[in-house]
Amino acid sequence: MLLDLIPHIINGLALGLLFALLALGFMLIIGVMEVINLAHGSLFALGAYVALAMMAPDGGLPFAFMEPYYALPAVPRYLIALVVGPLVVGLVGMGLELCLRRTYGSDPLYGLLLTFGAALVLEETIREIWGSSEYALPIPRGISGGFIAGDLIWSTYRIYAAVFAAGLIGVLWLFLNKTPYGAVIKAGAHDSEMVRALGYNLTRLRLLVFGFGAALAGIAGIVMAPIWGIRPVVGVDAVIPAFVIIVLGGVGSFWGAVSAGIMVGLVVALTAAFLTDWSLLSMYLLLLAVVTFRSRGLAGKSSVLEA
Amino acid sequence: MSRNRVSRRSFLQTSLLAGSAGGAALFGPWQHNRVYAAASDKPIRIGLTHDASGQFANSGQAEKRGTEMAVAEFNEAGGLLGRKIETVWMDTETNPQTGTRVAERMITRENVHFLVGAIQSGTANAISQVAQKYGCIYFNTNSSSPTESGKNCHRVKFVWDGNGENFSKAAARNAINSFGKNWFLIYNDYVWGQNTNAATKAVATEYGATVMEEVPIPVGTRDWSSVLLRIQQANPDVVAAAVGGDDFKVMRQQVRDMKLDRKPAWINNQQDWPDVYGLGTDAAFGVFGTTWYHYLDLPGVADFVKRYKERYPTTRIDVPGNVTYNGYVAMRELLRVVQEVGSTDNIKVIKALEGRVMKAADRMQHHDAVIDADSHQVQQTIYLAQGNPKPRDDSDYFEILSSSDPESIRSAAGKECKLESYADTPNYDQG
Amino acid sequence: MDYDIKQTTAWVTGPILLSLVLFGTMPFWIEAVGLYQYLGVEVLIWVIFALGFNLLLGYTGLPSFGHGAFLGIGAYAFGLAQFEVWPNLWFCLAASVVVTALFGAVTALFLSHRRGIYFALMSIAFGQIFYFIASKWTDVTHGEDGLLNIQRLPVELGFAQLSIRDNAELYYLCFAIYAVLVIVLWRLTNSPFGRLLRAIKQNETRVAFVGYPVTLYKWAVFTLSCAIAGLAGGLFAMAQEGAYINVMSLQWSGIVVLMVLIGGGFVSFWGPVLGVALYFVARDVLGAYTDTWLLWFGLMFVVLVMFKPQGLAGIWQDLSRRRAAERPGRTASAGMEG
Repeated sequence: MLLDLIPHIINGLALGLLFALLALGFMLIIGVMEVINLAHGSLFALGAYVALAMMAPDGGLPFAFMEPYYALPAVPRYLIALVVGPLVVGLVGMGLELCLRRTYGSDPLYGLLLTFGAALVLEETIREIWGSSEYALPIPRGISGGFIAGDLIWSTYRIYAAVFAAGLIGVLWLFLNKTPYGAVIKAGAHDSEMVRALGYNLTRLRLLVFGFGAALAGIAGIVMAPIWGIRPVVGVDAVIPAFVIIVLGGVGSFWGAVSAGIMVGLVVALTAAFLTDWSLLSMYLLLLAVVTFRSRGLAGKSSVLEA
Repeated sequence: MSRNRVSRRSFLQTSLLAGSAGGAALFGPWQHNRVYAAASDKPIRIGLTHDASGQFANSGQAEKRGTEMAVAEFNEAGGLLGRKIETVWMDTETNPQTGTRVAERMITRENVHFLVGAIQSGTANAISQVAQKYGCIYFNTNSSSPTESGKNCHRVKFVWDGNGENFSKAAARNAINSFGKNWFLIYNDYVWGQNTNAATKAVATEYGATVMEEVPIPVGTRDWSSVLLRIQQANPDVVAAAVGGDDFKVMRQQVRDMKLDRKPAWINNQQDWPDVYGLGTDAAFGVFGTTWYHYLDLPGVADFVKRYKERYPTTRIDVPGNVTYNGYVAMRELLRVVQEVGSTDNIKVIKALEGRVMKAADRMQHHDAVIDADSHQVQQTIYLAQGNPKPRDDSDYFEILSSSDPESIRSAAGKECKLESYADTPNYDQG
Repeated sequence: MDYDIKQTTAWVTGPILLSLVLFGTMPFWIEAVGLYQYLGVEVLIWVIFALGFNLLLGYTGLPSFGHGAFLGIGAYAFGLAQFEVWPNLWFCLAASVVVTALFGAVTALFLSHRRGIYFALMSIAFGQIFYFIASKWTDVTHGEDGLLNIQRLPVELGFAQLSIRDNAELYYLCFAIYAVLVIVLWRLTNSPFGRLLRAIKQNETRVAFVGYPVTLYKWAVFTLSCAIAGLAGGLFAMAQEGAYINVMSLQWSGIVVLMVLIGGGFVSFWGPVLGVALYFVARDVLGAYTDTWLLWFGLMFVVLVMFKPQGLAGIWQDLSRRRAAERPGRTASAGMEG
C-alpha cells in the first residue's frame, strides 16, 4: 500500500510545480501592483493560442506568408513559440496596464473589475479569431510519449513540464534576488513610495512588471497546452487554481506561493487517486482549513489589499 | 411505409395540388385565392435553440449547420405548405437559465411554430418545460442523457440522438468478447455520467464482466494523471469511461500523450464529431459509439456530404459529422411531417410523429429507425467505431467496427417516461 | 466617491414612486416595445437579488464574488420545500429565505472578520464549495439536469386564491415583493444601521475603534443579503419552473458584480436596478443580432470602469448636478438621490 503511494506523491509534486508556475505571474502582479488580475487566465489562454499559431498551419490563422516558416522542423518552431508567445502576451498585458492606470489610487476593487471585463473581452476575441473548437498544440517528438518506471507508464511531457516549471521558478527567484531590477521590483512590492524616492520611474516599473507577469501567464499557457488542450474557456481552468494558491500561500510571498502550489498539487493528486469525487473540492477545503487558522495564508504579510 | 419514398419535390407538388383542389371545391376560386395568398404571406417560423457559447458552443454550431441545411433545402424546393420557412436562432449558451428565457422569447415574442436544438440535457430540459407549458413541439437534436426520454420526457419533446444507454449496450457486449472481463469504470459525477455508467455496469455484468472499481470523477477535472496511475496499478482489461464535454477532451489528451490508449482497451461512450475534428486522424481514441459517419458505405451519404460542402465551403469542419447529421435528419423529418399532416397544429403533428417509422435508406443508416410512441426517443442504429489505423484522407478519423440494430440496444430509460396526456398538453398552433 | 450624505426620513421618495409606476405598468407596455413578459419577470427577480447584493458591495464595500451560490440555494430550497414538505407559496418562499439565510450566516462566520481582496477571495472559495456540492449531490439537486417541475404555486390570501401560472401574473407577485422590499431597504440604508455600514466601507478600523462591533455588523449584513438572495432564488425557481446549478457558478457571480457596478451600485441605491435592467435588455436585444455581444458588453464595461466607475447612476448624478448648476434656485433633488 505504501509503495503504491509513492507514484502518487511524485505525480503530486510534478503537478504542484505546474500549479506554482500558473500562479507565478499572478503573484508578481499582486505583489507589486496590488491588482488581482482576473485576466490572468485569458492571458494564459492567449499564450497557448499564439504558440498554436506558431506551431501549426491549422492554428486558425490563414497566414499564407508564413508557409516557409511552417516548413521548419518542429524543435525550432517550438522554441520560437516559447519566445513569441510570452512576448505577444506581455505586450497585451502592457496594454492592459495602460488601461488600469486610471484605477490607481481608487478602491482596489476597480482594478479587479477592470481585469474581469478585460478577461471577457480577451476570451471573446479569441473565440472570434480561432472559433470555439478544440485544438491540440503539436510538440516535438522528443518530449512527447511515455516512459516506463516502476512498472508504470509516465508521461514524458509532464516530467519535462515540471522540470521546466522548476527551472523557471528558480530563474525568477534569482532575478528577483540577485539582480538590481529584482531589488527595485521587491522594493516596489514593499513600498511604492520608496521606489520613487530612490529615483526610479514607478510608472515604467509598473508597466514592465505587468508585462512581465502577463508574459509568465503566457508561458504557463504554452506549457500547460499539451496537457489541458486549447479552447477559449481554458483560462478559467488556470485562474481558479492560481487564485487559491495565492490566498493559500499569502499575498506577496514568493516561497509562500511555491509551497502552496506544491501543497495543492499533492492534495489534488492524492485525493484524485483515493477519494476521486472529492478531488476538486479538496483544494478549497485545504484553503478554508489553512486560512481559518492563518488569516494571511502560509506566509502572507499585511497589505493594503485588506483595506 | 411508402410515404417516405415519395421524393420531396413530387410530394410537394401533389400536396399543393390536393390543397388547391380541396380549396376550390369548398370555397370557389375567390375564397381559395384569398386563403392561398394569406397562407403564403406568413412564413412558417422555426426557433433554433443552438448553443454558440458555453461548453458546447462548437457542437451547437455544428447542429445549427444541419438544421439550417434542411430548412434551406426545403425552401429551395418550394417551401412548406406553400409557405416560406423562416428560422430564428438565439444562442442558448449551454445554460438552462438562458434556455428558459430563449424558449419564452421564441414562443411569446417570435411566435415560432416549432423549436429545434439541444446539446446539453440541462438546457434541453429547461427549454422543454417551457415548450410543454405552451404546447410547442420541441426537438432535442443532440442531448444524449438517458433521462431526456426517461423521467424528464414530455409530450412535446422528441429526442433524436441515441442515448448514453444505447451506446453502452452497443459497446459493452462486443468489448467483453474482444478485450476481456476485468473492467474499470470511470464516469463524470453528474446525471449523464451516473446514468450511463449504471447502464454500462448492468450490461457488462450481465455478460460476465467483473467490475474492479468504479471511480466517479468530478466535472471540471483537468488533471487525470492520478486516475491514470491508479488505472495502471489496477491493470484492468477494459476501461469504460462515461466522461463528457471538456473533461473528455482533457482526458483524451492526457491518455494519448502517454500512449495508454491501446492497452488497456478504452470504451468511451460517445465521441462527437465536432470534438474530434481538426485534431488529426489519430485523434479518436478507444472504442465508442456514434449515430452516423460520413464514410458509411450507404447510398445517399456521399451526396449528403457533397451538399454540405457546397453549402458550407468555409467552415472549419468541412465534412458533416454525427451532430450535424442528427440536426439535419431531425429538422427534415419535422418539415416532412408538417407537410404530410398539412397543418402546424401541435397535436396533429405529435400524433403523426409518434410511432413513425423512418426507412434506413432515407436516414442513411443500416436499420430502420422508429420514434418510440411512449418515450419519444428515436430508436436507431448505433455504430461502434474506433480510431482509424488506415485513413483514406484527412477527414477519415473513424473506422466503423459494427452496427447494432435499434431493438438490440433499446434503452430501459423509456420505462420511466410518463408523457403528459394530449388533454393536458395545450393546443398550440401559430397558424 | 460615495452616496450622497443627505439623509432622508421619507418612506416613499420620488425615485421609489417612479420605479413603482414604471415596474407596475410594465406588463402593459413591455410587448409594445418589442420585449416579452418573461423578460420582465426575470429582470424584476434579478433586481430584487441585486438590491440585496448591493447592501454588501455598494453600502458596506464587501466584494462578494460568490453570491450567485445563495440564489441557487434559495431556488433548491424552494423546490425541495415544495416537493418534500408543503406546497404552499408562503411556506416555500419562507423556506427559501430561512434556509439561504442559515447558509449565509454560517458562511459569514468565516468571512465577517475579513475585508477587501481577502474577503473577495474567500467569498469565491465558498461560492465554489457550494457549487461543487450542488453539482455532486445529485440526489437532492439533480445536478446538471436541474430540479425540474417546480410549480408556480397559487397565492393564498385567506379570502382568495390567485393563480400565478401566467408570466404576467407571476410578474405581479414579484412586483408586490419588490414594492415592499424597495421601501424596506430604502429605510434600512438610511437608518443608523445603514449609516454604520457606510462608515465601515469608509474606514473599518475607525468604526471599530469608536467601539462598534464591526464584525457583528458585517455578519448581519451578509446574512441579510443572503436572505434576500434566497427570496430571489425562490421566485426564480418558480419563474423557470426549475432550479438549475448554473447561477451558482463563479462566472455568473462575476456577471452579477458587473451588472451592479455598471448601474452604479457604488454611488446610488438605484445602481443595481439600472444595471440589471441594462444587462438583461442589452443581452436580449443585442444577443438577437450578434453572438459576440458579450465582447461589446465587456468592452463597454472596461471603458466604464476606466472613465466613469460610478456607472450609469454616476452619469445621471453628474447630469442632474450640472442641470441644477445651470438653473440656480432649484434643488437637484430629482433623480437618483442617495
